[in-house]
Amino acid sequence: MRGRDRKQTVSFILACVLSLASAVTSLSFALDVPPLTGRVVDLAHVLPADVAASLANDLEAHETKTSNQVAVLILPSLEGEPLESFSHRVGTTWKLGQKGTENGVLLLVALRERKVRIEVGYGLEGTLTDLRSAHIIRQEIVPRFRSGDLPGGIAAGVHAILGTIEGTYKAEEVLSGHARSDQEPTAFQYVIIGIVVGTLAGIVLSHGLQRTRALLGSLLAFLVAQFASVGLGLLAAGVTAFLLWLILQANRGRGGGWGEGFMIGPGGGFGGSFGGGGGFSGGGGDFGGGGASGDW
Amino acid sequence: MGSRISVFATIVIAVLFVGLSGCGYNDLQGLDEDTKAAWSEVVNQYQRRTDLIPNLVATVKGYAAHEKETLEGVVQARAQATGIQVTPETLKDPAAFEQFQKAQAGLTSALGRLIAIAENYPNLKADQNFRDLQSQLEGTENRIAVARKRYIEKVAEYNKGVRYFPTNLTAKFLLHLEEKPNFTVADEKAVAKPPEVKF
Repeated sequence: MRGRDRKQTVSFILACVLSLASAVTSLSFALDVPPLTGRVVDLAHVLPADVAASLANDLEAHETKTSNQVAVLILPSLEGEPLESFSHRVGTTWKLGQKGTENGVLLLVALRERKVRIEVGYGLEGTLTDLRSAHIIRQEIVPRFRSGDLPGGIAAGVHAILGTIEGTYKAEEVLSGHARSDQEPTAFQYVIIGIVVGTLAGIVLSHGLQRTRALLGSLLAFLVAQFASVGLGLLAAGVTAFLLWLILQANRGRGGGWGEGFMIGPGGGFGGSFGGGGGFSGGGGDFGGGGASGDW
Repeated sequence: MGSRISVFATIVIAVLFVGLSGCGYNDLQGLDEDTKAAWSEVVNQYQRRTDLIPNLVATVKGYAAHEKETLEGVVQARAQATGIQVTPETLKDPAAFEQFQKAQAGLTSALGRLIAIAENYPNLKADQNFRDLQSQLEGTENRIAVARKRYIEKVAEYNKGVRYFPTNLTAKFLLHLEEKPNFTVADEKAVAKPPEVKF
């Protein structure tokens, strides 16, 4: 009887693990979002190198001037994925556009399906409207595609997009706004500050480290760290209480003395979100499904 | 002996502090706000679609006035959809939510029929105004799909918070939060696919 019970338990746990594994795998899609290797990602190899380079240059110059991030993705096939949901997935995965202004645009071309889409970030929906996107596709891109001139259609589309969104944002304003928001302390910083301040205060307040007064330190840690969240505040308080208790024990054991000797490991974690050195990465923009699709 | 008890007390308090961090008061409040915001976006996008319809109907009428049934179907479905008052309170009432969802689904299918009849009228299909309205409608349907997807994700997260232990205790006794209704999958499939349009 017992053996059977154990067997059942084991198979139950196995089933749980398996179902977890299948839940993880079911999250994958038919077509993965390709890595963002540059402003022009030509996986179908339809653009001559010089056209691709000059487009990338134009897009970079445009971003320097306006902070708008525009990227082009040319795919050999969508592999059954619906155009709109895939294009939205690419935009949000690449995070085109700056955080806060959401000024990203993606021009997506799928060769086998003969479909093209302009996906517009939240912040540009007002200027590059669905209608304007549809006109660009209908008037600039599709006629050239139909006559077989893919590079010409893509270049004309990109330039029409850039011309439309030219005056919406100015780089200086957007990027200086960024620097300000970056200086807001992160949740992590609050917790660290809370623990450090709380522990130090606990030591000072309680001289010989009586427990009750040491607990004031944890309270202080909580008050500081709760700016991040109540949960983190309690965590900071808990850690502080533990540290103070450790010190208390150590003091008791050795007759005092290492109160100031302990270290709190400084955190890393202050890194910015921009990829360094020459590479292109999204600025954190978001997409709400604006834009237009067409085929040729 | 006495010092032992106080050390023990300290540990208990420390554990309590850490343990309570799981109570999720702020997290639940935040999620509640997030679902409301996501819901507003859904309503907003549906409203946008509703606003496009009079023009669309007028344009189609110009070329296909005798398709009375389809045209009236759209007008009626629109009236039904706009007749429902939507507020953040709608989220607390599964029946009202269901009603809203039904009315919008009805409008979606009525619009689908309207776009389908355009296939039979080459002049209508070529009309610049009609094409523009169609692009806008497509764009709006796509935004609705995105807004719904985000609402679905947010509500799932929120409902987990309301149901999982121990945050369910906070939700029930402290915040009096209840599960929120979500869009059903069958309906989601119908809406997630924007109407097929050939140029």
